[in-house]
Amino acid sequence: MQNITRKEGLQEALPILISEFIENMKTRFGQSGDIIYRELLLGTIPAVIVYIEGMGDPRFLIEALHMDSPLFKELTNQSPDDRVRMLKDLTITMGKVGEATTYSEVEENVLSGNTVVFIEGTSTSLYVGTEKLKQRGVEEASSQSVVRGPREGFTESLRENTALVRRRIQSPKLRIEERKVGEHTHTQLAVMYMDGLADTEVLDELRTRLNGIKLDSVLESNYIEEMIQDHRYSPFPTVYNSERPDVIASAILEGRIAILVEGTPFVLVVPALFVQFFQSSEDYYQRWDFASLVRLLRYLCFGIALLTPSLYIAISTFHQEMLPTNLLTSLIGQREGVPFPAFIEAVIMEITFEILREAGIRLPKSIGQSVSIVGTLVIGQAAVEAGLVSAAMVIVVSITAIANFALPAFNVGISVRILRFGLMAIAASFGLYGMIIGLIVLGLHLCSLQSMGVPYMTSFAPIRWRSQKDALLRLSRHNMKKYMGKVKS
Amino acid sequence: MLGRTILSVLLMTSLIITSGCWSRKELNELAVVMALGIDTHKDGYAVSAQVLNSSELATKSGGSIGSLPVVTYKSVGKTVPDALQRMLSMAPRMLYLSHVRVLVLGEDLARQGVSDVLDYISRNHQLRTNFFMLIAKNGNASEILEVVTPFEYIPANSLYSSILISEKKWAATGKVTLQQFVNELKQSGSDPILSGVQLNGSSAEGQSVENVKKISPSTLLQHAGLGVFKGDRLVGWLGEPPSKTVNYVLNRVESTAGYVSCPSGGIVGFTVNRADTSLDVMLSAENIPRFSVKMEIEADINSVQCPININQPSAIEALERSIEDKYNENIEKHVKDVQQRYGADIFALGEVLHRKYPQVWKTYRSHWGESFQSMSIDVHSHVAIRRIGSIIQPLNQEVDEK
Repeated sequence: MQNITRKEGLQEALPILISEFIENMKTRFGQSGDIIYRELLLGTIPAVIVYIEGMGDPRFLIEALHMDSPLFKELTNQSPDDRVRMLKDLTITMGKVGEATTYSEVEENVLSGNTVVFIEGTSTSLYVGTEKLKQRGVEEASSQSVVRGPREGFTESLRENTALVRRRIQSPKLRIEERKVGEHTHTQLAVMYMDGLADTEVLDELRTRLNGIKLDSVLESNYIEEMIQDHRYSPFPTVYNSERPDVIASAILEGRIAILVEGTPFVLVVPALFVQFFQSSEDYYQRWDFASLVRLLRYLCFGIALLTPSLYIAISTFHQEMLPTNLLTSLIGQREGVPFPAFIEAVIMEITFEILREAGIRLPKSIGQSVSIVGTLVIGQAAVEAGLVSAAMVIVVSITAIANFALPAFNVGISVRILRFGLMAIAASFGLYGMIIGLIVLGLHLCSLQSMGVPYMTSFAPIRWRSQKDALLRLSRHNMKKYMGKVKS
Repeated sequence: MLGRTILSVLLMTSLIITSGCWSRKELNELAVVMALGIDTHKDGYAVSAQVLNSSELATKSGGSIGSLPVVTYKSVGKTVPDALQRMLSMAPRMLYLSHVRVLVLGEDLARQGVSDVLDYISRNHQLRTNFFMLIAKNGNASEILEVVTPFEYIPANSLYSSILISEKKWAATGKVTLQQFVNELKQSGSDPILSGVQLNGSSAEGQSVENVKKISPSTLLQHAGLGVFKGDRLVGWLGEPPSKTVNYVLNRVESTAGYVSCPSGGIVGFTVNRADTSLDVMLSAENIPRFSVKMEIEADINSVQCPININQPSAIEALERSIEDKYNENIEKHVKDVQQRYGADIFALGEVLHRKYPQVWKTYRSHWGESFQSMSIDVHSHVAIRRIGSIIQPLNQEVDEK
């Protein structure tokens, strides 16, 4: 609030004198050391260029303005307003040039890395596109690596990212709508979609939701994701994200809408369907039969990661008659002497594993390794030998964890991790009966979810036979001549 | 609104916790009964239960004190559940019956009738219906459950797998589950059979682990033919050849071995690889049923102990014919024998008639026991020899030729 009142107190229109301009700018920005006011003469006319060191690079602009060109002599003879026009049309060699007549315009341009040229005698200044941010180059996407397929990943620069997508879809129908969000951060946001392929209803819905965003700051795409997702309290993600340009390009080609945010390599995609979280870009780069089998394997992993500990608890404490006799004798032998009930045992092991995972994730790589060694040794062997947990439980927890890692989307892995504990508690209290009820509730919940108005379980519920070619399985490209996944609400 | 949601979630969570897992039983709170034996006793039934001694199964060292992996508890009660309850005065854990693999009935009990015992066994929800049933021939069930067996250190498992393998490869035992037994018992057109088991050696020596520390254990469990039931009472035992006949007629033979004599003296041994039997019934003009047994047998020659020229197709054909004759003759003889001696329809001929001619069956239903004895049965077998093994001529013939 303070900000706004202070702004309102200041005058908006630019002055005519350089000294007044610089003085006012300094009041607005304070004594920030990175803002450079470079005064120079265009022929005989004094001018000043303003930019932020590090964000803008006006080297070529300064060179252009220092040229001993006959134009500058002519400049003196022009009226102040024509001087600006002449500079803009004839002298400045940069691609992006425009006029700025108010302080807020100047402010905005300077902050986004442009350079503002103010010439004495007129209240119209020019801004020149000189953004040049030191940034990470295009590197391999670390969160979704593939064996076969493009290695590029998005970077933190929005422009770079839109270019990466554009390079893959060289079509005039690829549209980019830009806007800024964040009261303080003024973060650039780009909505990318294929005109004609993207559903206009979904697009309108997205625009409304983006317009409704009231945030002070946007530093990562999750800020946006949380604001636009349909269900705040569902453990399942209803917005997909990826840092791979090829994934985003294919999503856009399927009629989905991508949201790119300045400052993060993670790009959002809406609408996101349940099946999407089980697809990897590599499914399309490998043979279709293999891809289909791998996809089925992922659904199996989802089941394993979600259910194994609770199934183990339910069967070993309520339904021993379901086990084959030989398995029962071996399980009984292992559980002999374990002091805790199966549920407590499972919770201890699962929590220990979560601790290890959390500890390992943010540590430097070299220390992370020793954490995992200690973890395996301590938990895997010592705990079993000490008789604290049974060997079978270690197997159950490890297969659960490994299956969890096999899920291609990290955020659906998180939902599984959360739900697993709930199912374990239900299994410990009500056995398989409780688990089935829990799963029914889960199924109902999944079917009630929507992403931008599109049912989350689309292609299963409501069932779409045509899109089955690329849902549970990935059939040969000959069978998918048209884009199958065109999403409609 | 939010407050109410939180409250209801809390209440529902407390529902889970306060109800307290009432049917929960941890694995290490169970005494898993692997085999159950039931004998007669003057005060009702003597029940013996072979229970898993789970601390001996522990893979880690420390829990084990070197005792045997099973314990057999014995107790007496008016009813079987009564005796099982009394067993808890000795057993430290709850008896868990779902994993019973074999039910052994003493011969005395079997001769008195097994219905009363089976009533409990079928009624109890914990017991599955797919375990095997055996009769302790010439002895008590408890003796059978007290023998330490080689290979499988849980004797019940040993008994279980030996039933499976002997039924599959030897064909003179019966793999009869509770389900099957009760079905055959309750059908009016059939009588059940049960396989017998007996001790080969002394009971006392078999009880200790010393038994299996020898290269040739002094006491072993041995399958001993089929027991014939009339209704729920054991009426007699069949030897090995009649037992095979029963399995042939009931189409339960998977593979077995046999021999046939050569025309020129000596014998030829064969293995049966596939045997398919179909029972059929025809009515004569006076509505008298006449049963026929059709058998399709595929056999391999496995040993030739006589001088025949086996590379002649005619010799093979002659062998096939003589095997067929042997089958026809033996099976007819054994069936007659069962008809005459026991009058128990263990071949389920009554059911065949019932299914094909329900109207005719009605006239026989009430007195099938007697009528069965006079039914005539024809046997038609067809034998095909498929393989003669890795060599052609008999070794002794080659020796002669030199």
